[in-house]
Amino acid sequence: MTLRGGPRPPRFAAWLLARTVPERDREALLGDMTEEFAVRAAVSPHAARAWYRRQVAGSLVANVARWRPSPRAFRRKGDSMGRSLAGDLRFAARTLGRNRWFAAAVVGTLALGIGASTVVFSLVDGMVLNPFPYPQPDRLVTIGSEFPKLGRELSFFENLSPAEFRDLARDTRSLRDVVAWDMGHRQVASSGAPEQVFTAFWWGDAFATLGLPPALGRGFSAAEVHRGERVAVISHRLWQTRFAGDAGLLGRPLHVNGVPFTLVGVMPPRVLVYDTDLWIPMPVSPEGFPRGQRQFQVLARLAPEVSLAEAQAELGALASRTEAAHRQALPEYEGWRLRAVTWTEANVRTLRPAATVLAGAVAFVLLLACANVATLLLARSSSRRREIAVRVALGASRKRLLRQLLVESLALALLGGMAGTALALAGVDGMAAALSELRWLPGEPAVDARMLLFALCASLAAGVLFGLAPALHAVRDQVQGALRVEGSASTASVGRLRLQRTFVGLEVALATVLLCAAGLLFHSFLRLQRVDRGFDSRGVLTFRLTLPRERYDAAAVQAFFRQLVARLAAHPAVSAAAAGSQFPPMAFSRTQLRVEGTAAAGADELPSAFSTLVSEGYFRTLGIPLLRGREFAADDTLGRRAVAILSESAARRFFGGVDAVGRRFRMGGDGEGPWYEVVGVAASAANRGLDRAPEPEVYTSFAQDAGGWNQLFVLARTAGDPRALVPDVRAIVRALDPEQSVYAVQTVEQAFAALALPRRIATGLVGGFATFALALALSGIYSVVAFAAAARTREIGVRMAMGAGASEVRGLVVRQALPPVLAGIVAGLAGALAAARPLQALLFEVRGSDPVTLGAVSALFACTALLAAYGPARRASRLDPVRALRAE
Amino acid sequence: LHDYSAVPRGRFLGEFEQLVLLAVAHLGDEGYGVTIRREIEARTGHEVAVGPLYATLERLEAKGWVTSRAGESTPVRGGRARRHYRLEPAGVRVLAEARRTHERMWKGLVLGRPAR
Repeated sequence: MTLRGGPRPPRFAAWLLARTVPERDREALLGDMTEEFAVRAAVSPHAARAWYRRQVAGSLVANVARWRPSPRAFRRKGDSMGRSLAGDLRFAARTLGRNRWFAAAVVGTLALGIGASTVVFSLVDGMVLNPFPYPQPDRLVTIGSEFPKLGRELSFFENLSPAEFRDLARDTRSLRDVVAWDMGHRQVASSGAPEQVFTAFWWGDAFATLGLPPALGRGFSAAEVHRGERVAVISHRLWQTRFAGDAGLLGRPLHVNGVPFTLVGVMPPRVLVYDTDLWIPMPVSPEGFPRGQRQFQVLARLAPEVSLAEAQAELGALASRTEAAHRQALPEYEGWRLRAVTWTEANVRTLRPAATVLAGAVAFVLLLACANVATLLLARSSSRRREIAVRVALGASRKRLLRQLLVESLALALLGGMAGTALALAGVDGMAAALSELRWLPGEPAVDARMLLFALCASLAAGVLFGLAPALHAVRDQVQGALRVEGSASTASVGRLRLQRTFVGLEVALATVLLCAAGLLFHSFLRLQRVDRGFDSRGVLTFRLTLPRERYDAAAVQAFFRQLVARLAAHPAVSAAAAGSQFPPMAFSRTQLRVEGTAAAGADELPSAFSTLVSEGYFRTLGIPLLRGREFAADDTLGRRAVAILSESAARRFFGGVDAVGRRFRMGGDGEGPWYEVVGVAASAANRGLDRAPEPEVYTSFAQDAGGWNQLFVLARTAGDPRALVPDVRAIVRALDPEQSVYAVQTVEQAFAALALPRRIATGLVGGFATFALALALSGIYSVVAFAAAARTREIGVRMAMGAGASEVRGLVVRQALPPVLAGIVAGLAGALAAARPLQALLFEVRGSDPVTLGAVSALFACTALLAAYGPARRASRLDPVRALRAE
Repeated sequence: LHDYSAVPRGRFLGEFEQLVLLAVAHLGDEGYGVTIRREIEARTGHEVAVGPLYATLERLEAKGWVTSRAGESTPVRGGRARRHYRLEPAGVRVLAEARRTHERMWKGLVLGRPAR
């Protein structure tokens, strides 16, 4: 069945197809598309939309080629007009067909400009500006917190405790529908084998806060949550893939970790929070947690008429009151801040720098494409002067000539527009596919019709304006003295040359900015490659398992993972295996520390560190060198002395210069709990990715964990391709417990790559744009020099007849290119310095104004520019003076 | 600009034209846009776009090799009618001729194993 608001074909592609399909096939073809889309969407709405876009992109040219000019359209203004317009079109087609390379250059430039700008703006709009489908997204806020005492910057995840949530819900007037939530993994089954599903747990009515009710059935109310009722809402995706879209499932039991829940609703397509597929009430009341244990996120709506600033002020007051009341017991409250930030902003702030840079770069590309089209058309108009002169002499009216040139430019611009549209559709599709791997990203790029329209208009305007300007020139010229012998330096060609040079200067400037940006990004990329990871990240496969607490107590969890690691280590392809609660570069779990012999308060910053539970062999598996002391051993078990290993940065931070081995600390902010004795110090691994310095990290032994931590990553070092191990991993897990399934399967290298993806996309796209810009600028330089040389053929002939050597002639011609190129590079460098600030957020250990990069880029550009100018100069220097003097 | 249906496309059947004709032949009475595309995609492993397909069908129809009739409209098609295509005797002849041409061209030819 289909659902109201169920998957629909991509809007813009459908619109475009309906507009371009020839009338005779409209009904059959559109019907076919609707029919097949429905079939495909039932399997995967995403793949179906991609298919639809591919179909439209692949059909555009064939559809448009079948248009027949309807005779009636031409007859409106009299028969002769219609016939002559058709004649103009035919003539334009013939002329462009004869000048295939010129036509291809114009159409290709326009297509790339339109395609690139539409793809990038679609990406920016879909991923960063408007990623969420919730109504009034600017009123939906999440509450961030900062703890300067713990060295914690503004964070939005696992950042608030139940007591803090209660204060927010109870004591603020600027927020309403305040809900707390958390995420985790659950096994879901209605019949058949259970499936591991990423789950959100809500304390409160999330559907009211988000502003979106389920598409099918209902949500759950705050009262139901508080009563602890077992109700569940699933995502549209899970409903389709797992339950075949069966609406009869509503009201039926759904087993979550083996416990029966009632399925009450299905969310609309694409409304997911962090890729969660199952929403259930929070299993335990948050009231039961201590004030210092922060593991929730908070979502809320701004109350009507309240601005974000007003909410901010109220949160400031609340934070001060809390600090005054609880600072004695919880010293981390000193100077803490609460901040309301829109949900969109909180999610896209890491993407924003890349988006800004890309949007800026692509605006340059569009501008450059227009400038290049202008240069091409100007160059071409000069070669048509004689043709136009002949036609004027034969009695063509000025209006008639203008119309013909207009038709020609329009035809070019339209062809470019069509090719650009096809490119945009295919590009957005490719981007959507590349990004669908990153499942935490909120948005999904869809073709931005407004941007496409804008780019089409810009290119159309450029084509018409510059197709027509030389035409006006030519017409005025010729009317003055039709068929006059072309002067070597007539005023018209001097003017045109000046205009062409201006455009080349503009192209050079734009290309310089893009090349500098690309150079800086590439420089950062090289720097990042050289960052020491602190361990050997290659050849390690990781996956995660969450054992249901309903069936596994603490001892059973320990036994399960011990067996799993042992069996994995026995595999012939595996050289070492271990388990850990997190691994670099993806550490997330932190704790406060109390170091023996230091006061709890008083220091500027309370000690805090990533805390990681690891099994025996963790350091060996990841190849983290042990600098002092020993690894965890088999006899570090529960009941024995609690031991810990520190990362080098943690040892330095908490114990200064002295040897940390043998010293003791406690975990948690309350100063209770067991003492841990440091038995070893390991090298600092890149636990926050390559672009941020490693945080202090404290490792404790999983075998000594009494809390029954039930979800762990398992790591296996292999000799060959780690991915080849995956089927065997699944078999080993199935043999231990057929109901458990592994998830988050990836290699450590892939984890690094995923973190670097926004930067890599920005670097790759800006690099591509810069290459395109370089090619355009060089072709512009070439054409302006060639044109100038041609215009001065006779002068060159005279000079050579008077004894000028080849090198002097070459110098004379190359010098034509120097002023616009130099002026362009200088202007471009100024532009690059201005662009340094937005670019800085994407750079690593390279300043936006880095003189080495900027200097190298501009020197290289100047050299290639001279090379481009050298070609026509060489040709000019080989002129036969006699023939040159007789030219024209 | 061009009336493609009137332009002679050379003496030989184009490759895509041939694929479409063969798909129509395979499908008998079941041939319409969706099934023809699926038939070609299933047998060649390449995706086929609707636009070129309908352009080709129009050409084949203009040459008298296939004929079409309006079919039923269903809700799943947004109420739009199908258009069914059938192979005509002239189409059978041209396919047979194409096959004979191919066979004559291949006859007596032994090519080395293609490099892998």
